[in-house]
Amino acid sequence: MLVENIKAEFNLYKNQADKSDFFLKREQAFAEFEKVGFPTTKNEEWKYTNLKNITNQSFQSTCESTIETELMLSHAFLKDLTANKLVFVNGSFRPELSTIIETDESIVISTLAKAKTAHSELFNKHFGKYAPIEGQGLNAMNTALLSDGAFIYVPNNKTITNPVIIVNIADSTDVNVLCQPRNLIIVEKSASLTLVETFYAVGNNPSFTNVVNEVYANENAHIEHYKIQNQEGESYHNNFTQIFQEANTNINHVTLTLSGTLVRNNLHFFMNGQNCNSLLYGLYMPHGTELVDNHTRVDHAFPNCHSDELYKGIMMDKSVAVFNGKIMVHLDAQKTNAYQRNQNILLSNEATVNTKPQLEIFADDVKCTHGATIGQLDEEPMFYLRSRGIPSDVARKMLLNAFADDIAERIKIPELVELLEQEIEKKI
Amino acid sequence: MLSIKNLKAEIEGKKILNGLNLEVKAGEVHAIMGPNGAGKSTLSAVLAGRADYEVTEGTVDFDGKDLLELSPEDRAREGVFLAFQYPIEIPGVSNTNFLKTAINEKRKYQGLEPMEATDFLKMMREKMELVEMDKSLTSRSLNEGFSGGEKKRNEIFQMAMLEPKLGILDETDSGLDIDALRLVSEGVNKLRNKERSFIVITHYQRLLDYIVPDFVHVLYKGRIVKSGDASLAKELEEKGYDWIKQEVEANS
Repeated sequence: MLVENIKAEFNLYKNQADKSDFFLKREQAFAEFEKVGFPTTKNEEWKYTNLKNITNQSFQSTCESTIETELMLSHAFLKDLTANKLVFVNGSFRPELSTIIETDESIVISTLAKAKTAHSELFNKHFGKYAPIEGQGLNAMNTALLSDGAFIYVPNNKTITNPVIIVNIADSTDVNVLCQPRNLIIVEKSASLTLVETFYAVGNNPSFTNVVNEVYANENAHIEHYKIQNQEGESYHNNFTQIFQEANTNINHVTLTLSGTLVRNNLHFFMNGQNCNSLLYGLYMPHGTELVDNHTRVDHAFPNCHSDELYKGIMMDKSVAVFNGKIMVHLDAQKTNAYQRNQNILLSNEATVNTKPQLEIFADDVKCTHGATIGQLDEEPMFYLRSRGIPSDVARKMLLNAFADDIAERIKIPELVELLEQEIEKKI
Repeated sequence: MLSIKNLKAEIEGKKILNGLNLEVKAGEVHAIMGPNGAGKSTLSAVLAGRADYEVTEGTVDFDGKDLLELSPEDRAREGVFLAFQYPIEIPGVSNTNFLKTAINEKRKYQGLEPMEATDFLKMMREKMELVEMDKSLTSRSLNEGFSGGEKKRNEIFQMAMLEPKLGILDETDSGLDIDALRLVSEGVNKLRNKERSFIVITHYQRLLDYIVPDFVHVLYKGRIVKSGDASLAKELEEKGYDWIKQEVEANS
């Protein structure tokens, strides 16, 4: 049982740790975890996503990795892209597999473990300030027992020229493995960053990856953030990303879920100033009996902000998708523009989609729309293409590609778009 | 080239075509006219292979092949082209990619290698000029944001690219102003030759001022009730369809 593994692991850690502020924070998180435990389907937010296949198994944190890891890296996504790469295997940083090409020394591309001492002021100012722990068992578990993760700091007016890629590999060749990456991203005033997170799995045992990201965007910052999940085999994945935006910030976030036994994405935006722009896009294409659950929340707390959200799903076999998008327009957030859509295509009679677009509006002068569709591939475009001599299987592919392209074109790294298109081609 | 014998078809149990006969030889242009609800669009849908129509009786022979047995894509690859009355928009599929796929699928069917990219582009340029198609339209998504006239012209452009044996124009004139109508018609006329045949389906004679047919047929209650040359269309324009209806009622 996972809960016992966690308790044992924390006790082990507790006996070795020095009693720093960081330790106290983790102890507090552990107490919260003991109190609330794992979410169950009785919790409205987890109604359609049952974690029992995770919580009924044993998982352990380990630094061990096998040759499989390096094999995976050799054909990983984006291996040829000129970028800063931070590689984490089973949650541990692997400097020999990583490359930092950024030359500006005021920019920090490092790990959480190092930043805790080397950049303690920044660390203490931001760590644990955005991702909530109260009532959030999985976030508490991450905070109590986090392995390591990326620490990125972009000072005022700076731009990281090349993207930063965080590569996470769960290697379960030897044991059921638990990885708990924790990333802290700080982008200061008028600075910008392109960040890519990728997730892979190797090995035949189950793996559970439980990620927490805290992203802080200071005034006028610009962040491109792409997340690619492609964990094959018995891979479970939960992640919580909190993006905290000051005034005039611009964030473009794309979540691509290509593979994973169970993937739950929690993506939260909080706009803490005027004229923020938040873009949330997602594409999922589960097959077999995979489950993909996207829960998003956008808090419009100040006036004159804009958010646009579009999640698209291509559902195969007996797969299940959950979409729950919540937009909160607070009392003071006049002149808010908020848009949200979820569109799904079912390619099988046995696939399931549970979708719930939600708007809660407390201001009176706003423009908000939301909507969801679940359907099959339209007959009319199919007939049009076939009537020009294109066979139905090719026509179907063209139309599905067109459907997915709507999301792919939100990505501003051409190499990534190309790879994604190949991946889509393979899947359908 | 095309021989339709005693064709009967229905949709959702409603009989639309009631024993239609039509012979089209290579190079001929046949106009099919008729009042609303006569079965004009059903004829084009059945020939193109729309699944929602059920053929209950009759045969359609196309150059020795049983057309009704073929899938829509095989009909196209055998050389049937339907210019739609309402061409749909397909966002995300580029015009160019769509045409390249269509042409290469046809070539594959004929046992030919895919077309060289340079040859394809050259052909695009030539055919665009031929039908006076705006270059900027080809880089966009298929029909997306096109005006009514642009959509119809794109149909003719596709026809020019795919070089069919038989072109079926389904009320291509509907919704077009006179300038657009002239442009579309000129495109069609440039595609006329000794081998290529056309079936021009229209409610109005106006289109036939530009695309002058060899034969005009009147479709009424799912059958061809009168045939003649281009002058029949003029007569219909002057007198309407009532006298035809009366003739049919008197003879039945």
